[in-house]
Amino acid sequence: MRHHLAGRIGQALLASFGVLTIVFFVMRLSGDPTLLLVPEGASAAQIAELRHQLGFDRPLMVQFAAYLADLIRLDFGESLVQRAPVLGILTERIPYTVALAAGALFVALGVGIPVGITMAVMRDHWIARLLQTFVLAGQSLPTFWSGILLILLFGVTLRWLPTSGVDGPLSLVMPSVALGAVTMSTFARMTRSAVLDELGRDYVNAARARGLSLREAVARHVLRNAAIPVVTIAALEIGNLLAGAVIVETVFAWPGIGQLAIQSIQSRDFLVVQAVVLFVSLVYVACNFLADLAYAAIDPRIRSGE
Amino acid sequence: MRGLVAAFLAVLLTSPTLAQTRDQLTVDLPADVATMDPQIQWDTDSATVYRNLFDNLVTRDKTGKIVPQVATSWRFENDTTVVFDLRSDILFHDGTKLTPEDVVFSVKRITNPVFKSPQLSQFDQIVSAEVTGPNQVTLKTKSPYPVLLAQLVKLSIIPKAYVEKVGDVAFNQAVIGSGPYKLASWQRGVQTNMVANENYWRGKPAFRTVTFRAVPDSATRIADLKTGRADITRGLSPDDAVSLRNEKGLDVRDVATERVAYMFINALYGPTVDKRVRQAIAMAVDRDTLITALQQGYAKPVDVVLAPTNFGYTNEVKAWPYDPDRARKLIREAGAEGAVIPFLTSPVYDRRLNEAVQQMLADVGLKVSITVVDQPTYLKRRLGTPEEASSLSQGRWSCGCLDADGVIFPLFRSGSVWSKFANPAFDAEVDAARATLDENVRRAHYKKAFEIMHEEVPAVGLFQDEAIFLVKKDIEWTPTPDEAFFVFDMKYKN
Repeated sequence: MRHHLAGRIGQALLASFGVLTIVFFVMRLSGDPTLLLVPEGASAAQIAELRHQLGFDRPLMVQFAAYLADLIRLDFGESLVQRAPVLGILTERIPYTVALAAGALFVALGVGIPVGITMAVMRDHWIARLLQTFVLAGQSLPTFWSGILLILLFGVTLRWLPTSGVDGPLSLVMPSVALGAVTMSTFARMTRSAVLDELGRDYVNAARARGLSLREAVARHVLRNAAIPVVTIAALEIGNLLAGAVIVETVFAWPGIGQLAIQSIQSRDFLVVQAVVLFVSLVYVACNFLADLAYAAIDPRIRSGE
Repeated sequence: MRGLVAAFLAVLLTSPTLAQTRDQLTVDLPADVATMDPQIQWDTDSATVYRNLFDNLVTRDKTGKIVPQVATSWRFENDTTVVFDLRSDILFHDGTKLTPEDVVFSVKRITNPVFKSPQLSQFDQIVSAEVTGPNQVTLKTKSPYPVLLAQLVKLSIIPKAYVEKVGDVAFNQAVIGSGPYKLASWQRGVQTNMVANENYWRGKPAFRTVTFRAVPDSATRIADLKTGRADITRGLSPDDAVSLRNEKGLDVRDVATERVAYMFINALYGPTVDKRVRQAIAMAVDRDTLITALQQGYAKPVDVVLAPTNFGYTNEVKAWPYDPDRARKLIREAGAEGAVIPFLTSPVYDRRLNEAVQQMLADVGLKVSITVVDQPTYLKRRLGTPEEASSLSQGRWSCGCLDADGVIFPLFRSGSVWSKFANPAFDAEVDAARATLDENVRRAHYKKAFEIMHEEVPAVGLFQDEAIFLVKKDIEWTPTPDEAFFVFDMKYKN
């Protein structure tokens, strides 16, 4: 186990370094960030002056070394657009994104897993077919569209929920449903196939032979085994929920990381964009790492390396 | 970590605050304020919010004329020296008096290169600011600078003592001005709350509290208006406007702004070096179709690369008439039939307009090849050498100064980064127009400059962009071409 853990940590660190490097070079190769920061009417001399002040006229490797040194000190620099430390701008938004991801995960797990079990257990029943349609819709409706539909129905027509913004717990309902829908469908399909897989095994037949009802067999034995792939997917989906809320946050005016990304791209806030990309990438790396750990914790075969 | 938990709880427990009464005005904007400090950012959303907190040295009335605000009057002592007499009865929100020292401080801070204000290029012609009397300030410019007053419309007066005491960073977070509203709170990325300055020297504001919210998606902003969650929003598309024309209780209010849409043509490199090809392009573009089909009529055609709102606009220079036959003939004469014309653009610009122009030029025998790149790459090439800049691109330009100098000088004067045009006669006209304060002489120079542009076609003026607002019907307010947004000018109809 210890060996497994050390290996995984090493891999995660390597992946993080790779991410840092890619982010740095991609952002530089796409063009000169100075041009994004100067006002429209600036002269060539003013542009050159700003480029020098920002250090973008130094050799790329020198800039890269300085960037790594800053990151080690957790110094993300100061936003030239907002004139405030980038780290502060980023961390102010994290609670909103975490709240939204938690809401979406609640929707996804709370609906997805029961729906998945039902679809497996009642395989050929019409209820399962109906649920399958529902899951397909959740998977395939683009959020920028389903979000607007939710707003029109529950916000404008029925007036049950606030149309936008952060205004108490009710504001969280529609964004959570819109964001959670896709993940919910993933959970439902994963759970369905995992449970179906297990249902065909001998131990289920043995349990039924001992006199357990199907419901009892599923609850006591099948779910535990079916949980292995589902937990792995869950860890990865948390990454998606934290990182992938760009559209939902924009539609519902929810001030999380995703909206920050869009706002900083539009206001050409180079350092904030870089920090957001880094944050999101590292969240993915961390979630992958957690998925590996969870997998090992649930399935002893992984730990022992068999 | 504890901070994060506290913030997390705060997110969930925020209580509903947007009680809709006639005392409260809620404005939905596409983005949050970038800086509350008025001397740093000047993007539309930031200025829309913070200008309500400050007074300006001079301002514009509803007709666009420059009129007194903090300054009661001004006179030019000579071509480079202007003396302002100031009001003595203005108080900042902390109760201290607005003095000539504050005005001088405001000018010196924004023009200090170390402060790195993105607005520096608008004020860097000012070389000195001095207190020259008990209520008097004198500004000197490098050379005669005709746009000075137009720029000073945008100079917010900030309190010297307070800024020096708390420093730039703290000032940005908790600004104090002398305007009709005081900053109550600013939640970055979420909203800004203001309360009325009851002792405001121009009178008591109609709304007691104002909230500006950041709502990026226009469909959501419209839903907010429909449900009464917000009272005014801006940034609607022409399609939105058409669908909302008959909405009960809401008004679509639009105004032609100083922002002008144009088609840039590279006069220094590629097939468009031949003047006849550029003239043919001008004759092949059907502006009226662009306006009716893409803008739903929410735009006004322009004959030159300047909006009629700006000083220096002339209606004596006409656009090339739409004439595809003559365009075809010119292209044949130039031997450019079937020539490939590279068209550089980025996602910032309206794709439909690019494609419409591509089609129109295909009709007269030019093969337009559109390349879409990201914005930094676009700027790098467009501002680079003539070889890098491609032959065509779309542009939208506003100087925020309502003057031809802020538009055709940076875009077409040789030596400017945007210019891919080198015409000594044109350069002489725009240089001369910049060097005198005599308005008639300036107008004459700009007229000649536009005549040269008409003949040489370094760009084709397309249309004047409109700003479209959605407003609760019973709120009295008319948008202005400079897109100023002063809540002080708004009130409920009785």
